[in-house]
Amino acid sequence: MKQAIALTVNGDTYEVLIAPNQTLLEVLRDKLGLTGTKKGCDLGACGACTVLLDGEAYLSCLMLAVDAVGKEIVTIEGLSQGGELHPLQKSFVELGGLQCGFCTPGIIMTAKAVLEEEPQPTEESVKKKMAGNLCRCTGYKKVVESIMSASGSMGGKQ
Amino acid sequence: MRLPKFDYRRPESIQEACAILLEQPSAKVMAGGTDLLVNMKHRVETPSTIVSLKGLPDLDFVRKANGEVRLGALTPLKRVYNDPFVAEKLPALAIAASSVGSYHHQTMGTIGGNLCQQTRCKYFNQSKWWRSSRPICFKAGGEQCHVAKKEHVCYSTYCGDVAPALLVLGAEVILTGGHGIRQVPLEEVFSGEGKTPLKLGSGAILTEIIIPKQAAEGFSTYKKSANRGSIDFPIVGAAVWRSGATGESRIALTAVDRKPVRARQLEDFLKGKQLDEDTIKAVDGLVAKETQLMTSSIDSLSYKRKLMGLLVQGALSEAKGGK
Repeated sequence: MKQAIALTVNGDTYEVLIAPNQTLLEVLRDKLGLTGTKKGCDLGACGACTVLLDGEAYLSCLMLAVDAVGKEIVTIEGLSQGGELHPLQKSFVELGGLQCGFCTPGIIMTAKAVLEEEPQPTEESVKKKMAGNLCRCTGYKKVVESIMSASGSMGGKQ
Repeated sequence: MRLPKFDYRRPESIQEACAILLEQPSAKVMAGGTDLLVNMKHRVETPSTIVSLKGLPDLDFVRKANGEVRLGALTPLKRVYNDPFVAEKLPALAIAASSVGSYHHQTMGTIGGNLCQQTRCKYFNQSKWWRSSRPICFKAGGEQCHVAKKEHVCYSTYCGDVAPALLVLGAEVILTGGHGIRQVPLEEVFSGEGKTPLKLGSGAILTEIIIPKQAAEGFSTYKKSANRGSIDFPIVGAAVWRSGATGESRIALTAVDRKPVRARQLEDFLKGKQLDEDTIKAVDGLVAKETQLMTSSIDSLSYKRKLMGLLVQGALSEAKGGK
């Protein structure tokens, strides 16, 4: 049976009619049109669908939309402010931290949660925490460089 | 992949959750959802009702009192290993919790959910399409076990990382159910049956984990070998605890049987012995004896046996150094 729920996404509240078996990923993409969040494996193994829930990195494909009620959801669309890219996004653009770009929204959202938890991480820590975000273009080196640069850990390069 | 249809319940108290489970025995409890929802997408679990525990207050905590550590079952794995006391005094638990899946799984997944995860098998953890070339296996609702090639048995393997660590730390768990509250050793919640790996009791939910004071007074570690070191279930995992005072050792293994296994014969062998080179060497031949390996994963049994020896030996070498 469908039910009406209110989701807070990128600071806006949306009322949507959903069935309990719809994942947050499906609702974000298909109901709210926020297609920046990608559907990869849809089984929690690739990280492409990562969004922030109350600042933590969640796999939206393994989250029931109904369980996200009352949480602050942030997707890749909510990162830039007033047309200005988020420092992480800028860093990825400047350092070429992406190739085809499909995994990038998930990678940036995970990176944001990682940097919020650990503002000056070591490269080792970034690699460990980013390991759940797969990139099939195999561009991990520049991904790590982009995150380290954004964190200011590379001699304030950002 | 869409989830199958189900009724969704979100109780606001444990009692309410237990009442739903008693009323509907086919309902499934969901904590973090990282195990159950994947199985549901694969259509190997299709519960009529999901009882989401996300609305329950007060089950997300790490508390220390009288030397005991008490963990709420809904504490995310990340919070467990980030706790300074756990990280310093209970390294086996911290290492095990931080080796589960990816950073996301550690954020979403809970310690109770991790303990209560489903057993795994190469014929079970597959999509409906993949499985359609064979008759449905016994665990997924059919008759035949494709591993044992027999009917009405299941040899799926318990692959949780946290259970062996908690077993060697001597943890007990609290089961809250329709018939009251029970505290039992963690080992007792695992049935050893592949099809139904848990025996919590009717309408019961694992609500709390208690680690005794003695656990923090010994050396402990967890060693894991996985296909992808960064994000995967173990091919084999081994936890070791050794008391500095008495020299008592506890060893537990995961991904080697239908339940996490305490290697008691090996523990007896090590009793009263110094961890010298010869003793550690002798462990290799003993460690696999108490497990019941089956080809439920893509890894060969000889490889798993070899890994068991190497992991336990590695852990005992560290214990010898007293690190």
